Parts: sequence; structure tokens; C-alpha cells
Amino acid sequence: MSACPHCQAAIETPLACAACGTVLDPIGDTTPYELLGLPLAWSIDPSELKKRLARYGRLVHPDFFAQAPDEERERAEQASARLNAAHALLADDTARADWLVEHLGGPRSENERELPRAFLLEVLDWNEELEALSAGSNAPGAASRLDALARSLEARRDEGSAAVARLLTPLPSRGSPGLVRVRQELNVLSYLERALGEIEALRSGNVARR
Amino acid sequence: MPYIELNVLNNTATDVAVGIDLGTTNSLVAIWRDGRPVVLAPEGRSGLVPSVVYVPSEGTPVVGREARDQAVVDPRHTVFSIKRFMGRGLADVRSELAARPYSATQTERGLVQLELRGRKYTPQELSALILMKVRDVACAALGGQPVTRAVITVPAYFDDAQRQATRDAAHLAGLEVLRIVNEPTAASLAYGLDQRDKGNVAVFDLGGGTFDVSILAIEDGVFRVLSTNGDTHLGGDDFDERLAELARSEIGPVAGARVLEDPGFQQAVRLAAERCKIELTAQPEADLHLVVPELRLNWRRRVTREEFEGRVADLLQRAMDCCRRALSDAHLKAAQVDEVVLVGGSTRVPIVRARVEAFFGRKPHTELDPDQVVALGAAVQAHILTGGKRDMLLMDVTPLSLGIETMGGAVDKVIQRNTTIPCAATVGYTTYADNQTGLDFHIVQGERELAKDCRSLGRFQLKGVPPMPAGLARIAVRFHIDADGVLRVSAKEESTGKSAQIDVQPMHGLTDLEVEGMLKAGFAHARDDFQARRAADLKIEIGTMLHATEKHLHAAHGGLDKETYRDLEDAISRAREAARQDDGTALQKARDELERATLPLAALLMNNVAQKALMGRKLGDV
Repeated sequence: MSACPHCQAAIETPLACAACGTVLDPIGDTTPYELLGLPLAWSIDPSELKKRLARYGRLVHPDFFAQAPDEERERAEQASARLNAAHALLADDTARADWLVEHLGGPRSENERELPRAFLLEVLDWNEELEALSAGSNAPGAASRLDALARSLEARRDEGSAAVARLLTPLPSRGSPGLVRVRQELNVLSYLERALGEIEALRSGNVARR
Repeated sequence: MPYIELNVLNNTATDVAVGIDLGTTNSLVAIWRDGRPVVLAPEGRSGLVPSVVYVPSEGTPVVGREARDQAVVDPRHTVFSIKRFMGRGLADVRSELAARPYSATQTERGLVQLELRGRKYTPQELSALILMKVRDVACAALGGQPVTRAVITVPAYFDDAQRQATRDAAHLAGLEVLRIVNEPTAASLAYGLDQRDKGNVAVFDLGGGTFDVSILAIEDGVFRVLSTNGDTHLGGDDFDERLAELARSEIGPVAGARVLEDPGFQQAVRLAAERCKIELTAQPEADLHLVVPELRLNWRRRVTREEFEGRVADLLQRAMDCCRRALSDAHLKAAQVDEVVLVGGSTRVPIVRARVEAFFGRKPHTELDPDQVVALGAAVQAHILTGGKRDMLLMDVTPLSLGIETMGGAVDKVIQRNTTIPCAATVGYTTYADNQTGLDFHIVQGERELAKDCRSLGRFQLKGVPPMPAGLARIAVRFHIDADGVLRVSAKEESTGKSAQIDVQPMHGLTDLEVEGMLKAGFAHARDDFQARRAADLKIEIGTMLHATEKHLHAAHGGLDKETYRDLEDAISRAREAARQDDGTALQKARDELERATLPLAALLMNNVAQKALMGRKLGDV
């Protein structure tokens, strides 16, 4: 915890000082965890996260600077945007894991495209089924087959999320080879999201044609 | 009793800030008093000002109840639902105009004008007349205290042009706009006062002409909008119209088509239908009763509540579909919604309440008058913005995604819809050709995957990028949406610091129907979009691969055996052929083929590079 440059009071977030009400301008790279005053860890208490968003939002939201000089209003605009972005990232399990892997020096998604070997075999089956269904999405029984496919993808997604949580608790050390595993699991999740999105599109396409 | 705040220093009345619900059907004003918002109304009256303007043959236009009374007598000079024309071009409102008994033109800037008694009125002017009337009501209720500042509400789906038109109307009426606030979010503020300190709230706002549903999370006095959805052409007017259709279908064959086209008849049908609907709220049966003396028409028809409910079933289904999408965007299930709030006069209809209750599995709140909720919330927001109340905060979202058109015509979404504002996002771009010195950016708004299907918000150019090989420039484009919902875009080349900045000002803005159409089309076309997007992306990838392959092939082909070389040439020509079409499967195949065929070339290049590096080291060692 550091001190406010204006009133020297201890501050919880580098975005603003609760004691003197000044909106601060954090310099350099400030992590989302720092912006929300949370310790670096995979697991985050959602209610604590919401509480902090509420508390800090009250310090920096431009609504409270409606009558303030332009410069101060602008600082509130920027601080609010940073707070909202940090919250959005931390509130999303996949986005948070992705950020953590990169922050700890692990591979970025564009550098490590591998999927776990066992998963590849599953993917082949799913792709085949998905292709068959997208070729004939009006065929009898297609809707229930889509549902079944979606269910197995969702089940695998839950497994993947659990694996990511396990691999990141406690946090691996900087540059640890274990981070590659996490990245691969995240690749699994992004494949699943895409496939589920395609299923959703097929479903709504059917609805529209009906 | 009148209540005037006096400034003790100079003994003059202070200006007050009010909240105004400028509605399609009715308008209302409220103010913060003694720790809570209250509606401002003349003694013994509701305070509701019908959003109707009547232009008499002599004298100044009349607004409100008196204007509405003229509707049947003189429909040609009575304007209803002017809100639907705000910030629109003539083409946007053609279907709206078809049912109206007056003519309309367009200014050279594309603004609609209605012609009444030979004078042209813009929607802004007519809305300003309504706002002045509302201000006078407030001023009278406050015992003559001047009212100069206001928070004005708009539907969540209003785009920049419509919000701007609302601002302009207020300006014409002599009001300073503190903030334009979304109606459903204002409603949640009104209800939030004595509510729980934590939980999820659904606001179901079915007004005269528009429907909005918003999902909010409340945490320690902070209201955060999680998602918003709606339909800009769904409301009580549509319910009335279903009864009006019934009347027309039964009167037409008897009285003749000429009667149906009579403007006096049209207005009378509308009012009779509305009356019947209202009566059906309190009783199981009511009369649809129509009297037009000039046409010697006196027609009566019994309507049961059940029949009425059958005729509006599809309208209700549309509303419930919006609710489902809003929940899904908020990542919540119906059971996780702790409170349901009803807003808008149409939520008095029993079947509406029943459907909402069934959908969310809980009884909705009806403690506040649904016609007053929005104005009360606007007053709360006015109080916050004038520095009065720091223990409550409303965090709103942007209703549509914003993005940049890519080389292939797809959209790179920079800010997703339902992102909390203020928000900012930066995306990186690079040059596509060697020594390219300028980049054009096309900013679009909407949910579709291709830029041509989204609404264009503006274009801008970044010039002066230093010449360098394709792909080396680092251009950062930053979007910022401020608390008022206005977008600012800036671009910067990071190696030189060259920058360009624009404020995005849409020409006419998006039409409601377009927003709605885009959202709907976003679902209906999701499949087509997915393919089109895939094809566009593959084309770019193939282009980049061809560029790189040809560049190196010339220098390195000596190192490749004949067969490999021919194989590669074949793959290149097939890829070129595929890139001329939009067939995603063929493109994918050509791309994969090209990748496979270039592997030996890549290996050769890697060897060359490694050898050169080793040679360099040897030279250095010497």
C-alpha cells in the first residue's frame, strides 16, 4: 500500500485517494490487481471484487466531477475507464487466466498454439459432427444432435476451467514450464467457445428460418 | 404548498435542477426534495403532460391535454409521438409518416420537417414546445422558481443523433442539459432508494411506443447496468393498434373504404382502442365504442380480456425474447434476478404483469406509479450531478458494439456492446504493403460481422507513417467512450509518435429500426456472417502468405528441387484463384495447401539464415 502524493494518506488503489478525494494518475504499467487493490492470485472472491468496484467507482466516476474543471473531469474519465477495464478482466475467469500466464512470462496465445494431445482426438470427432450438422441443419434430429454436442462441449469446458484453476493455484513461479500447460488448456477453452458460438449460430439460424 | 429555495446572500431564488421524462406519449417532471424525488404537478393534477402539440390557425401552438383534445376535431394540425422523429432523416420515418395526416419534408442536412398550417417544424422544435410546457408546470408547482437545468431521459437504444436531437430540443426550450440518461436505468435509480444493498434487478419498461429491458447489479449503492435490450417499436400504441385493426376490419365492409381513410376516423379509432384497453385492465370485458358524428358513425363492439390477450400474444412474445437476450448478455439465469421493476403505463395491463411474473418467477414491484418512475429517477440523477448525493452511483453501459473495418471488409470489434462506460480500448494495426505511409480507418457500430452491414460512424486517416517494410509499423488506435456515451477515437504510430484524433459525429446517426434490425439480423445472419468473416480473414492470410512466398522464392528457388518448385508454383496459382472467390471451404483448402507447399522453402530459408549467422560469427571471430 502506498501513499497519496497530495495528503500522504495510505491509498488502496493507485487511481484515487479516499482521504482527500483526489483522482490520481497512475504512471507506467499498473496491473489490474493493483488497480483494484487485490493480491496477485488466481482465485478472486467475486463479492470482494464487486465491493471494490463500487468503492473505487464512487471515487473516480465522472458523475461526481460534473461541476469540476475540465482537466479534473478528464482525469476521472480516464481513471474510470481503467477501473472498468480492470474489473472486466478480473471478473472473467478466462481473461484473468490469460493475463496471468502472460504476466508470469508464459507463452502468449499467438506463440503457443498447441492443444493437449488427448483433446485433439476429441476435437476430430466434434468437428466431424459439427460439419455434418452444419451441412444439414434442417435434417430431422439435427436439433437434438446439436443439443447433445453442445452439452458435451460444455462439459469439457467446465473440465477445462477446473484444470486452469488447478494449474494456477498456487500461482506457478515466473517463467515456469507449467505455464505452457495452462496456455494449452486456455487454447482448449477458446476452441470450445468458438465451437459453441458456431452451434449457437446454427440454432438461431434454424429459428430464423422456421 | 409552494416551496422556494432562497440564496441567503442576495435573497434571490436559486436555479433548480429537475429530472424530465420526455416520453413518446406523456412527459413528466420531478425534483429532489427532502431526501427523495417527487413529481412536480399543479395542485390536484397528475402532472402528466401529453406529448402532443396542436397548431391553431391563429396564435401560438398549444401543448398537452388541450392539444390532445383537438386530436379528433382537427387531426391535421395535431402532432402525436414526435419522439419517433427525433434525429431521423425522411427515409428513416417513411413508414411512420404513412399513418399521419400531415406532410413532411427534409432539410438539406437530412432532418425531417413536418408541415402544419404552411409552417415547417423540426421534431426538435416540437419537442422544445413540450419541454417548455413541462418547465412551466415545474415552475408553477415550485411557486415561480426558475427552472433552468435538467436531466432528460431517452430510451436506452437512442443513438448519438437522437440524443443530440434531444439536447437540441432542450436548448431550444432554454434548458441546460446536465445529462441524457437512459430511461430504464433512471427507473432503477428511482426504485433503488429504499431497496436492498445487494442484488440483481430487472427493469421492464413497456411504454407507449418503446420497450426496454435492462439488467442491473446493485452493490453498496452502486447501480451497474449489466446489459440492456429492447424493441423500439413495441409498446402500448401497438396494443391499441391491435384493437384498432379489429374495429377497422369490422367497420370497413359496412361503412366503406373511404371512411377508413378519413383522418378524423383514424384518430377516433385510436382513442377508442386506447380507452377499451384501459377499461380491460380493471374489468374482464369492455366496449370498443366509436362515435364520429361527421361520418354518422356510432359503432360498438364487446371485447373480452381473453380476446384482447390473444390479439397481443405475439407482441408479448417479442418482449419476452428481449428479456431472454438481456439475461444471457448479463450471464444470469432468471432465478438469479432478485427484484423486477415495472415501468411504463403499459405494464398496468394484467397479461403483461402475468407474463413478467412467470418469466422471472417472482412478483414485480409496483409500489411506484409506473408512469412516474422514469421522471423520479431522472430527478435522483439531477441531484447527484449537482453535487448533492455521493452515496449513490449509476454505472451505465454502451448498447452497441463499436469496431474498425479490416482490409477484408470484416469488423474488428474494439468495444463490445454492454461494456461499462466510461471505457477505453486500444488495438494495434500495421501496414499491409511495403513503404505504405498512410492508413484509413473506418469506424462502425453494430453487431454484424461485416462492415457493410453495420452503421458507418465515420472515417479518418493516419498519415505520415515512415516508410518501412509491410508489417513493421506499429499503429495503436484508441477508442474512448465517455460517461455521456460519446465516442472519441485517436490513432498513433508508435515508433514515430505521429497521431491523429477525431470526435465521431454521425451524420444522421443510426435509426432505431436499424439498431433493432442490426441486432435482430445479428442473430438471424449469425451463420452467414460466420462464413463471410472466415472467408474475409482467410483472404487476408493468403494475401500475406503469397506476398512473403513470392518475395523469397525469387532469391531462394535455386536451392529447391524441380518437383518441390513446381508443387509450390501450383499451390500459389491455386491460392490466387481461390482468393478471387468467397468460398470459405475452398479458401481454407488453398491456404492449407499453400502452407504445406511452402514448408521446404521455409526450411531452406531457415538454413540460409542460420548459415549466414554462423558465417558472421566466424568473421567476427577472426
